[in-house]
Amino acid sequence: MAIAESGQSSASSPLVTQLHGWVTTVDHKRIGIMYILMSFFFMVVGGIEALLIRMQLWVPDNTLIGPDTFNQLFTMHGTTMIFFVVMPMLTGIANYLVPLMIGCRDVAFPRLNALGFWLSLFGGCILYTCYFTGDALYGLGSAPDVGWFAYAPLTSPAYARGGAVDYWILGTSVSGVGALTFAVNLVATILTMRAPGMKLNQVPLFVWMMLIDAWLILVAFPPLTAAQIMLILDRYAGAHFFDPQSGGSALLWQHLFWFFGHPEVYIMVLPAFGIISEIIPVFSRKVIFGYASMAAATAAIGLISLGVWAHHMFTVGLDDRLDAYFSAASFLIAIPTGIKVFNWTATLYGGRLQMRTPMLFALGFLSMFLIGGLTGIMLATVPVDWQVSDSYFLVAHFHYVLFGGSLFALMGGCYYWFPKATGKMLSEKLGLWHFWLLFIGFNLLFGPMHISGILGMPRRVYTYQAGQGWEFWNQVSTVGAFIMGFGILFFFINIAVSLRSGKKAGDDPWDAWTLEWATSSPPPSYNFEQILAVRSRRPLWDLKHPEDPDWKYE
Amino acid sequence: MTESSSNSETSPHPETIAMPRPTAWPMVLAAGVGLLALGIPTNMIFSLVGLGIIITSLYGWFGQLLTEEAEVEEPLVAPELRAKPIKPSHKRVLAATPGQRLELPEKVHPYSAGIKGGLAGGAVMAVVASMYGLFSGRGFWYPINLLAAMILPDFADNTIAELAQFSLAALIIGVVIHLATSLMVGLFFGVLLPTLPSSPVFWGGVVGPLLWSAFIYAFMGVLNPVMSQYVSWPWFIASQFAFGIVMGLVVVRSEKISAQSLTPATNRESHDG
Repeated sequence: MAIAESGQSSASSPLVTQLHGWVTTVDHKRIGIMYILMSFFFMVVGGIEALLIRMQLWVPDNTLIGPDTFNQLFTMHGTTMIFFVVMPMLTGIANYLVPLMIGCRDVAFPRLNALGFWLSLFGGCILYTCYFTGDALYGLGSAPDVGWFAYAPLTSPAYARGGAVDYWILGTSVSGVGALTFAVNLVATILTMRAPGMKLNQVPLFVWMMLIDAWLILVAFPPLTAAQIMLILDRYAGAHFFDPQSGGSALLWQHLFWFFGHPEVYIMVLPAFGIISEIIPVFSRKVIFGYASMAAATAAIGLISLGVWAHHMFTVGLDDRLDAYFSAASFLIAIPTGIKVFNWTATLYGGRLQMRTPMLFALGFLSMFLIGGLTGIMLATVPVDWQVSDSYFLVAHFHYVLFGGSLFALMGGCYYWFPKATGKMLSEKLGLWHFWLLFIGFNLLFGPMHISGILGMPRRVYTYQAGQGWEFWNQVSTVGAFIMGFGILFFFINIAVSLRSGKKAGDDPWDAWTLEWATSSPPPSYNFEQILAVRSRRPLWDLKHPEDPDWKYE
Repeated sequence: MTESSSNSETSPHPETIAMPRPTAWPMVLAAGVGLLALGIPTNMIFSLVGLGIIITSLYGWFGQLLTEEAEVEEPLVAPELRAKPIKPSHKRVLAATPGQRLELPEKVHPYSAGIKGGLAGGAVMAVVASMYGLFSGRGFWYPINLLAAMILPDFADNTIAELAQFSLAALIIGVVIHLATSLMVGLFFGVLLPTLPSSPVFWGGVVGPLLWSAFIYAFMGVLNPVMSQYVSWPWFIASQFAFGIVMGLVVVRSEKISAQSLTPATNRESHDG
């Protein structure tokens, strides 16, 4: 067996060598970083699309962007943010951290893991290829315009001519296969490669939530891929799965899509729960309240989330009994979610709170996600949903869940684990700017959407007439969008500045308790020189306090 | 990748550690998949090239796995870049908290108290409900039949006069529903009461009945449309209060036991160990 030249490619190597190192890497940490960088890139792209949408809605009867381009913008924005921003970011963070947290040297299938990343990246590239085909170069007119959930029969050849929808189908399905490979790898890693002595009820909560998350990916993504293959067959092979005029069913697409789509919401939010469950105890200087109930609630959420998909379809005319069941199941999911919120609050209660940037993002997450959850309960009520479905109220709800929830937590995670990944601290000052601009901008952007939605503004309209009471709220939203854009800019500036001249972090800058802090920052390719034996949920506490270890009490 | 025994905490430091060899095949395979997909909306030539790349990359990938090429010995990083030993810390976190080295409540009511409370409350509630039947002139069996209508679909079309008649099936079903609900609520409160602040009778006799009545009021139309149509809400709420107060009193009067005595013995042993 050959001996490598060094454990890590040094920064002084030629650029080509460094690039080659990244392209050929099977190190889960580097793959995680590449996922996160990919996510950042697409965040900028999706963010620009969002800003264009908001600019168009600044005033009534605006002609900045035409209706077709507007349809393409919201389709690309939604698809990008879900498949190519939140998914890669959570995948990246999980890839980086899970093996470190469970005290192993590597993942179960390192090459498969690398394949997952490249499939995700090429999936994104395929989606955006649409801008370089057809009449795109002469006016950017070839992007898909069917919304991120691409309802049939809008996607049929009769209504979606050209290849734009194909790029959407192929891009998302290729990245979906990438997500599946990630999930297979993660489940195998967590179940088979934990440090000696680390029982499944002793892994960090982030690992627990990623395990359930990976199971959800394994269950939810295949139906989407199957539906997309059926759609390709409809478009290219003369099949009629989703064509009602030939015996197919347009509703079948909705069922298959939302059987993926609702668990996908939890796929995106469970890692956020995990991150928060790591950050809050450390910055409260308290152990997480109710570890077992947290893990159980995660499993319950995973299970129930598979049985609520038709609450996205209350307005299609299902049987009342079905509506009642899906409404009740949607209410039910609030119970385990409530348990989690209660546990986080109980952890904060009486703690010695340290208001560092990761903690601010965690608290931001808590408040925003709570609002998103409460509006979710409103929408789970069938009559309310009939009233506000497909209005801006719904847009506000899911942004509070997925941006105020998932992205806030993921950014908090970036602040929390950046020192581990780079050996440098992110600037607190720039972090504060980032947080407050994002928090204020976010609430200015999405808060008023609840009102414009209740006032009847439908989602996806490219413009609106004056005198309906929507102008003011849209203008507030647009101002909020730009404030938020500046906030994101501060995030990237902070990363650049810290990488260049950040304060040295040390191995364990937060005085934390989980295994990733037991190795150097950044960790070597093999993670740990020695694999530690684990006896409790807080192995570092046991090492730091040999006179008073946790294992005596667990 | 296998963990060698040399990686245990008691072993001496190895000079190198076996790790998977970096490889471009996953990237090449993904590129092949991408091209295969891209050929569908553009030109099948892309798909053919993609297929060729997929086959080549799988061959290369598996070929590498089947030889010694799969792994590479990574030398340890320089000593100054290694993790510092973890030193004992003088910083303390907060004192024991619930769920962490501290079981709250320390003393609880035994499960049997909840069961007894539920049975006693249920009995008093049945008396109040029967009094309503007698005072309203609708008869002793009327409240029982209303309760049984939750299960018996024939009762949906019955008149008030018919609902006042004795029915054996309704009696059995009504008693079963009432007993099961009383036991469930009693047990629930028995477990919950020690964890709540202030007087258990307040929670059992005031808050509980109010919450339960509100819940039933909201869902009665779905759970039992017949009862929803014919029930007298003041009497219904009065019977809930009777249940709650009696159940609370029975639970409060029971002797509390140590919470640890409810933990299975095996767990206790491991705690002690």
